Amino acid sequence: MDFRFTEEQEKLRTEIDDFFLDNLPSDYRPRGQRGQTMEQYKFWMDLQRKAGAKGYLTPGWSKESGGLGLSDMEQGVVMEETSYWGAAWPGSQGIRVCGPPLHVFGTEEQKSKFLPGIAKGEDIWYQAFTEPDAGSDEANVSLRAVEDGDNYILNGQKTFITAPGQGDYLYTLARTQDVTPKHRGISLFLIDAHSPGVSYSALPTLGVFTVDIFFDNVKVPKDRLLGELNRGFYHAMVTFEFERSTTGGGAGARRGMEELIDFYRNEKPNGKPLLENPAVRDLLADRAIEMELVWLQGWFAAWHFSQRDKLGSPPPEAGGLHNKVVSADRAKQLIDAMGLYGQLRRGSKYCKYEGRAAGSWEVSRSTHPAGTIEVNKIVLGGRGLGLPRIPAKFNKEIRAAIEERG
Amino acid sequence: MDFNFTEEQEMLKTSARDFLEEECAEKLIRDVEAGDQGYSPDLWKKIAELGWLGLVFPEQYEGAGMNVIDLAVLYEEFGRAMFPGPYLSTVILGGMTILEAGTEEQKSEILPRIARGEQIVAMALTEPESSWGMQAWDPEGVTVAAVADGDDYIIDGIKLFVHDAVCADTFLVVARTKSGADPADGITLFLVDAKSAGISITPLRTVAGDMQCEVIFDKVKVSRQNIVGALNGGWAPLDKSMKVGAVMLCAQMLGAGEKLLELSVDYARTRIQFDMPIGINQYIQEHCVFLLRDVNGARWSTYLAAWKIAEGEPCDFEVAVAKAWGSDAHERACWRAHQVHGGVGYTVNDGVLPLYSRRGKTYQLYLGDTAYHKEKIAKELEGWPAPQVPRGKPLGLWEGIPENWIPEWWDTYDKG
Ligand SMILES: Cc1cc2nc3c(=O)[nH]c(=O)nc-3n(C[C@H](O)[C@H](O)[C@H](O)COP(=O)(O)OP(=O)(O)OC[C@H]3O[C@@H](n4cnc5c(N)ncnc54)[C@H](O)[C@@H]3O)c2cc1C
Repeated sequence: MDFRFTEEQEKLRTEIDDFFLDNLPSDYRPRGQRGQTMEQYKFWMDLQRKAGAKGYLTPGWSKESGGLGLSDMEQGVVMEETSYWGAAWPGSQGIRVCGPPLHVFGTEEQKSKFLPGIAKGEDIWYQAFTEPDAGSDEANVSLRAVEDGDNYILNGQKTFITAPGQGDYLYTLARTQDVTPKHRGISLFLIDAHSPGVSYSALPTLGVFTVDIFFDNVKVPKDRLLGELNRGFYHAMVTFEFERSTTGGGAGARRGMEELIDFYRNEKPNGKPLLENPAVRDLLADRAIEMELVWLQGWFAAWHFSQRDKLGSPPPEAGGLHNKVVSADRAKQLIDAMGLYGQLRRGSKYCKYEGRAAGSWEVSRSTHPAGTIEVNKIVLGGRGLGLPRIPAKFNKEIRAAIEERG
Repeated sequence: MDFNFTEEQEMLKTSARDFLEEECAEKLIRDVEAGDQGYSPDLWKKIAELGWLGLVFPEQYEGAGMNVIDLAVLYEEFGRAMFPGPYLSTVILGGMTILEAGTEEQKSEILPRIARGEQIVAMALTEPESSWGMQAWDPEGVTVAAVADGDDYIIDGIKLFVHDAVCADTFLVVARTKSGADPADGITLFLVDAKSAGISITPLRTVAGDMQCEVIFDKVKVSRQNIVGALNGGWAPLDKSMKVGAVMLCAQMLGAGEKLLELSVDYARTRIQFDMPIGINQYIQEHCVFLLRDVNGARWSTYLAAWKIAEGEPCDFEVAVAKAWGSDAHERACWRAHQVHGGVGYTVNDGVLPLYSRRGKTYQLYLGDTAYHKEKIAKELEGWPAPQVPRGKPLGLWEGIPENWIPEWWDTYDKG
């Protein structure tokens, strides 16, 4: 057992840290992507390209793909510092979600066409999975892809698609076959975001900005199929393993802690620093505990992932669920500890702490991205702990019986 | 970063599990609880033979020279097996304090005896007033005085919630020898023969059914020779072993939690109601999943704290995090396990679940509960530096800029 980083890893950490120290302005505030101004967005696009040129966006990818060919652990270090500085990469979905499976399932042509664009910070991807009737039940995808010569023709709709920037490509699940079970007829496509027939409308949420995407006879060449036909659902599952091995959570929380402590230290209603208030101390301690736990579980997952050849798949872990559960609690503590000021949004007169209490409280209303809290529990209980569940093939019968009873 | 256990640790784990499953079954635990010693002398002898009592002592004192991470591995198994006995009192709070601060004579006399299972030590710190709360484990709470009398000291006062007092040969008494601005300055540790005149012991009836006692020191005379560490300087070494103790309680709760998870998942799969296993219901699944969350969260916070101690690095924050989380998580884990087990989890005379639950409460309170350690964390956080300020020239892009729902880039995006 060893909780220390190697000398090389520490050097890498300093290098990344220096990159941000040099390139971020002294009046920088890590404030996420929600409703950015154009200047903020441009700033992040520029910095993303700078980071991309150095390979910092995708350090674990091969050099040909635009990465640095570093190990999973070193990649963890880079992600940790990136997240400490709250880098709001517009290309985050491609970097974290769409790129890694492309690495695994892509053909050589696909890899050389798409990966460098993500790695260099040029291209922005959306992960377009969810549909009006396919939320938690992702296998219920009905965006239809029909073979037509050298192309597929797509018709249907996606919804709630996180849009951290001006999208260039869509990483899309579509139905290619009607079968039971439903998930055996789904395929993954890599689609130009501005193909004729694709259109968008805004679907702003209390959290990140999302969009609806409509597909009207969209022509997608066959070489844009990722992996095997009708195996898209399985390929998409692999994505989660990559997502799980992230190390950013704890570090992002650390920066947040530093800022929060500083705020409570300097804010002195009636001449007494808020830092001495028992409710504030309780909140800070809770946050610190969770920060440590998230940091440890994140690194455990990354370490386990880095040894996947030797160790196989990781034991069931509840870090993700834990985050979802506590984030709402912490947001409530934060806003409640500000009294009436807590409700002020950023930019308002009298707003304290730049409206972050209200902001994070709003964000915490949802735990939906990457699976709801409930679905997390179902997956952990079933696949993780081996608890029984009603086989899906009975679902329709049960529904019919319920409807019959009225 | 390496989350692997060493081969030695894996071996210790397996052999401890096998041994304890055999020798420390439910019957023994119930017998000990019903008895008046608070431990099984027979089992104590056996674990001495296995070398466990000297595990963390150097070889020159008949120990095995292993470290605190190894000890945590053993403690996880203690927790799983609900091992009853004065290990924490004797080996950690007694032995490790002596190892840290004792004279060579004290070390070479007492440590081998502890390792052989021939001497049991009980640490007497908490008092009627301090037991109410936050100062129980801080020097502020120590008021029982030891007053110099020629070559001796006279200790007078009541110590409460003294674990394992009944079977102890020796008390490590934490007494005040000086009062001043710094409450830690003026604490002295005394080794007191349990048979000394003036000592009277009354076991307390606790939910755990363990042997916590009131120990009255009625003008008990103890020789100056029996001071461990410096006069007035006893707090630092004691604090150090209490930190080890706190982490071991975390490991113990972790081991118990792992077992509770196994028991609950197993019961959820096999107990049939409404013609189906109860585990098919999402309410029951939720209990199990949260058990997993609480147990998993405790694992690495415990081992990180143990590792910090083993490496001799500053560990106040990590220990407080481990115990603050571990205690509350264990309380929740026990409660969840009870819910899954229904009435079967609620019986007094058989079944291990209530035993885990009752004993768990003691682990949570001992050496600082969640509230206590959270305040320690808050103290640490007070000293955190302000966030780093980058070196680029200011751009005025963030401060005071209102936050909208829709980003401005959307205006120029080609929406098809
Ligand atoms: C801010 C935001 C960003 C998002 N970004 C993306 C994105 O980038 N790409 C993408 O593809 N999708 C994205 N999503 C969609 C997200 O993945 C879905 O919202 C999520 O999967 C839940 O689906 P749903 O909203 O349809 O809720 P539903 O599935 O309808 O669920 C409603 C409620 O029922 C519960 N429920 C459903 N099934 C069960 C069950 N079997 N047992 C118990 N409870 C159940 C759910 O947990 C939830 O509480 C985003 C969503 C949000 C809010």
